[in-house]
Amino acid sequence: MSFLLSFLFAAFESRQDGELIARLKRRDQKAMSDLYDRFGKLVYSVILRIVKEPGTTEDLTQETFMRVWNRAQFIDEEKGAIGPWILAVARNRAIDYLRSVDGRMAQKSTEFDPGMEQPASFSRVERDILNSDRARVLREAFTKLTPNQRVVIEMAYYEGLSQTEMADRMKQPLGTVKTWVRTALQVLRNELEEVVPV
Amino acid sequence: MSQPDNIRDLYELYALGLLEEPELSQVEEELRSGSTEARARLRNAMENNAIILANVPVVEPGKGLRARVIGSVGAPAANRHWMWVMGTVAAGLLIGVIYLGTVNSQKETQLAEVRGQMQSVLSQSAVANAELRKARQVLSFLNSAETKVVTFGPKDPKPPRGRVLLHPNRGVVLIASNLPPAPAGKIYEMWVIRKGRNPVPAGLFQTDADGNGIHIQEGTVTADVLVAVTLEPESGSAQPTTTPLFAAGL
Repeated sequence: MSFLLSFLFAAFESRQDGELIARLKRRDQKAMSDLYDRFGKLVYSVILRIVKEPGTTEDLTQETFMRVWNRAQFIDEEKGAIGPWILAVARNRAIDYLRSVDGRMAQKSTEFDPGMEQPASFSRVERDILNSDRARVLREAFTKLTPNQRVVIEMAYYEGLSQTEMADRMKQPLGTVKTWVRTALQVLRNELEEVVPV
Repeated sequence: MSQPDNIRDLYELYALGLLEEPELSQVEEELRSGSTEARARLRNAMENNAIILANVPVVEPGKGLRARVIGSVGAPAANRHWMWVMGTVAAGLLIGVIYLGTVNSQKETQLAEVRGQMQSVLSQSAVANAELRKARQVLSFLNSAETKVVTFGPKDPKPPRGRVLLHPNRGVVLIASNLPPAPAGKIYEMWVIRKGRNPVPAGLFQTDADGNGIHIQEGTVTADVLVAVTLEPESGSAQPTTTPLFAAGL
């Protein structure tokens, strides 16, 4: 019964995603309020976690939704996953801001690549991923990381630091940091593989 | 550890835009090869990244943010309380309509009138509510000691003229005149520009037939910003695509 319910719920969410994307493409202004009601709190929370300033967070949240509104025509309403996409856009806006504030933009060896926020990249990404069993498992898997592993993961996701920058910040050899990052991602992925084979 | 395993571990970093050489080229090469496994790995990495990003303490945004975001695309941010009240009123009227229809089929004409009145009341209330809200916001700006006023346009030979009211905690009000309605397929877009940063979209607006328009952008704003207006495609733009029609700053 619970399987049936979660299947129906996922199917409903997927249909809702498709309808919402179609309305955004039609420039239906009410779709923007529905989009905000669905993702506003999460987008705000992710950006606040990164920039830590409520005023700037509001600016960047607005920028995020405007960017999604202006690029909605490029997302596939049949297969596109709006949740993961809007989170990627939000993170990129926030990390971009951090880099502009501390001057990292100029120093960074690799240019910040927003390629992975292109709407087309989110075709075939699971739409209901944020409410899935995988999400629950991944959250639990975080408790299995060592303190150093958790720190490097947070530096990557919430500070946008490359492995070289992490090594500089932590005053550790690059090889050590790479091992922490790789092992942390392996731990998380291994937990997930028990849910859905990668 | 073999190279494929090495690369496999790095797709999350690649999707975050953090991968450096030489691993970056290796992942890109694998993706360029058209390998279905590589594409599946990238898709999984993007899903994992979304889950990890969403693993944050959820914080309630300020109350004004919803209206500000929705207002950015020119949509009136319906007050949820009013929507509930109007919904209840509409439901009540609808029940009344159904009751009348059941009791006496000869009341069709009256029913049509009731329906028309209901629609008229609802639309008038919505318009009046939006106008009232806008007027209250402008008054509230004008009455606040913290509001700074900037005038633009009077020296221009063919002005649009007007005033920009800036309040550090409430946002920006633009009051414009002599600004002809944007042509078909176009709309005016306001921008808030902080020194050294890209312009931030601050909402779309249209003027009336007399060239008058009031646009309100709620939110916090620093005193050193420049407010500018450009003509944009009707869906709005993420960054200005035309020269500003006017700009005002303190």
